[in-house]
Amino acid sequence: AHSLAPRRTEEEEEEELEETAQEKKLRLAKLYLEQLRQQEEEKAEARAFEEDQVAGRLKEDVLEQRGRLQKSVAKEIQAPAPADIRVLRGHQLSITCLVITPDDSAIFSAAKDCTIIKWSVESGRKLHVIPRAKKGTEGQPPGHSSHILCMAISSDGKYLASGDRSKLILIWEAQSCRHLYTFTGHRDAVSGLAFRRGTHQLYSTSHDRSVKVWNVAENSYVETLFGHQDAVAALDALSRECCVTAGGRDGTVRVWKIPEESQLVFYGHQGSIDCIHLINEEHMVSGADDGSVALWGLSKKRPLALQREAHGLRGEPGLEQPFWVSSVAALLNTDLVATGSHSSCVRLWQCGEGFRRLDHLCDIPLVGFINSLKFSSAGDFLVAGVGQEHRLGRWWRIKEARNSVCIIPLPRAPEPAAAGS
Amino acid sequence: MPRAVPRARAVARCPRQAQDSGESDDTLEPRVVASDLRRDTSNMSFEELLELQSHVGTKTYKQLVAGNSSKKPNSRPSVQSACVSDKHRPLEMSAKVRVPFLRQVVPISKKVARDPRFDDLSGEYNPEVFDKTYQFLNDIRAKEKELVKKQLKKHHSGEKHEKLQQLLQRMEQQEKAEQERKRQQELRLTLKQERRAQAQQGHRPYFLKKSEQRQLTLAEKFKELKRSKKLESFLSRKRRRNAGKDRRHLPLSKE
Repeated sequence: AHSLAPRRTEEEEEEELEETAQEKKLRLAKLYLEQLRQQEEEKAEARAFEEDQVAGRLKEDVLEQRGRLQKSVAKEIQAPAPADIRVLRGHQLSITCLVITPDDSAIFSAAKDCTIIKWSVESGRKLHVIPRAKKGTEGQPPGHSSHILCMAISSDGKYLASGDRSKLILIWEAQSCRHLYTFTGHRDAVSGLAFRRGTHQLYSTSHDRSVKVWNVAENSYVETLFGHQDAVAALDALSRECCVTAGGRDGTVRVWKIPEESQLVFYGHQGSIDCIHLINEEHMVSGADDGSVALWGLSKKRPLALQREAHGLRGEPGLEQPFWVSSVAALLNTDLVATGSHSSCVRLWQCGEGFRRLDHLCDIPLVGFINSLKFSSAGDFLVAGVGQEHRLGRWWRIKEARNSVCIIPLPRAPEPAAAGS
Repeated sequence: MPRAVPRARAVARCPRQAQDSGESDDTLEPRVVASDLRRDTSNMSFEELLELQSHVGTKTYKQLVAGNSSKKPNSRPSVQSACVSDKHRPLEMSAKVRVPFLRQVVPISKKVARDPRFDDLSGEYNPEVFDKTYQFLNDIRAKEKELVKKQLKKHHSGEKHEKLQQLLQRMEQQEKAEQERKRQQELRLTLKQERRAQAQQGHRPYFLKKSEQRQLTLAEKFKELKRSKKLESFLSRKRRRNAGKDRRHLPLSKE
């Protein structure tokens, strides 16, 4: 309250002093509050940043699960120079299958001479050789005694599984190549193996038309699934609890939903479907012996894209037949696909928008039967298993070819490199 | 009573078949009720239990051990409601149904037997069209008649002779019936033409009554019989038959 005039100056002074003190207090208080607010803001920023990162990662995971995580790397790929292709020779007969360890440091290859060789990617030397086991006699070091048709490695690089024509699945420790278990149960040659990503669950299929589920860590057999009407040719799986099989002469591609014990049936190829590879959780690519390569989506029973005579025609004019597609591979969660045949090249393809088109990118010259193709997890290189004969039989023999594992580097035009999954 | 989900062999019964196959061979084994199996499993040693697990698979073994039938074997994917978008979706089937060993590789079509007499594709019977298209049959019939006559010359007595005789008679009767039919047809045709001519000239078409038709046919028959000189026999037979018929109408003679 404003006092009377005579006491004003004193009071005013007092008031001014008081106000200054009050103001000072106020000022200090405000300063303190400011500081607090700033601190809190910084903290909030840090938290938000963290949350964004975590959220981003979770989002990526969800997209990957749904099959929608997609990096288009195909357009950056250039054809490598033939001199850059490294050839690792050591097998005596045609290579039938190969796998790359998840850290891209080693390659396991198996051949018709029933041996498995572990190669080092960097040096190209043989790290380990699992020799062939003689049939019949016991007390031998474990090994295969018939053609090894398929191999698989778990996503943590711990277990290696290999299946052969004598109905056996052998489990090895990938690091030391020590034999761990043998799974019997199939009634005919084992033609496809795949580990479920992130687990030690193994899916296998065989010429006895069944798909079997095994648990490698517990060394046990889980269950069998039926549905194919003819010998199954190949199998692949990602991180979902389902696998996809190529049905061979059956003419169907089947997706097996294991927890629900059901299957989805897809039709579309005319020839025998020989190879299949999952591109992401929702799409896959398959190749048949009528030369056609097809892209599939889980929601349509017919292929989304079909490329006929993917490797051209062979034979005399007038009696032309398409080259059989003996192997396909796809870089995970991208749009790059590679196919191999015996047309003396490996073809790289780009999947169009929504996987509705398949466009030819380039050819990599490589003579022989390309019996197996695998991309590295980072997408740096492509490994091809080459043989003089087809991996399933001896219909032709290409003398000019060398039984070898070829490491093909994939140079890219300088762009932010796509990180592997 | 829970259904026998695990088609497991009771390993206690046949331990020798342990290493044959990893999957249960349920075509040979009888179905065992789950409760019985549980009793068996409680008696089995640990090794036998492990063997059972490796035969049957961990999934079914766990179900068996848990004992509850919460996971019904009938939990197959339910039939989807038919809507347009489902036409393009892949077919979803159960993965536990065994596929028979033999499968149909080439589509086999059943041969459908057709009886042209009752088939709609043959159309309706039109006598004129029929006669025209099957004229060639008359020649065949004549030839067959010649054959029968020749045969008859060979066999003069016995069963064969009688049979041939009957056959010949049947053929001749059929021929006569055919000719009769043709004659009737021609008659009808001429009448129709007459009527048409009359109508063209302007008169109204006159259709014969049934009684008049009968009279006409009778007259024709009379003429024919007279020509072939069988009139007497025909008339006498007719009288005899009529007499027999008329005797019915006479009053019954009562004593």
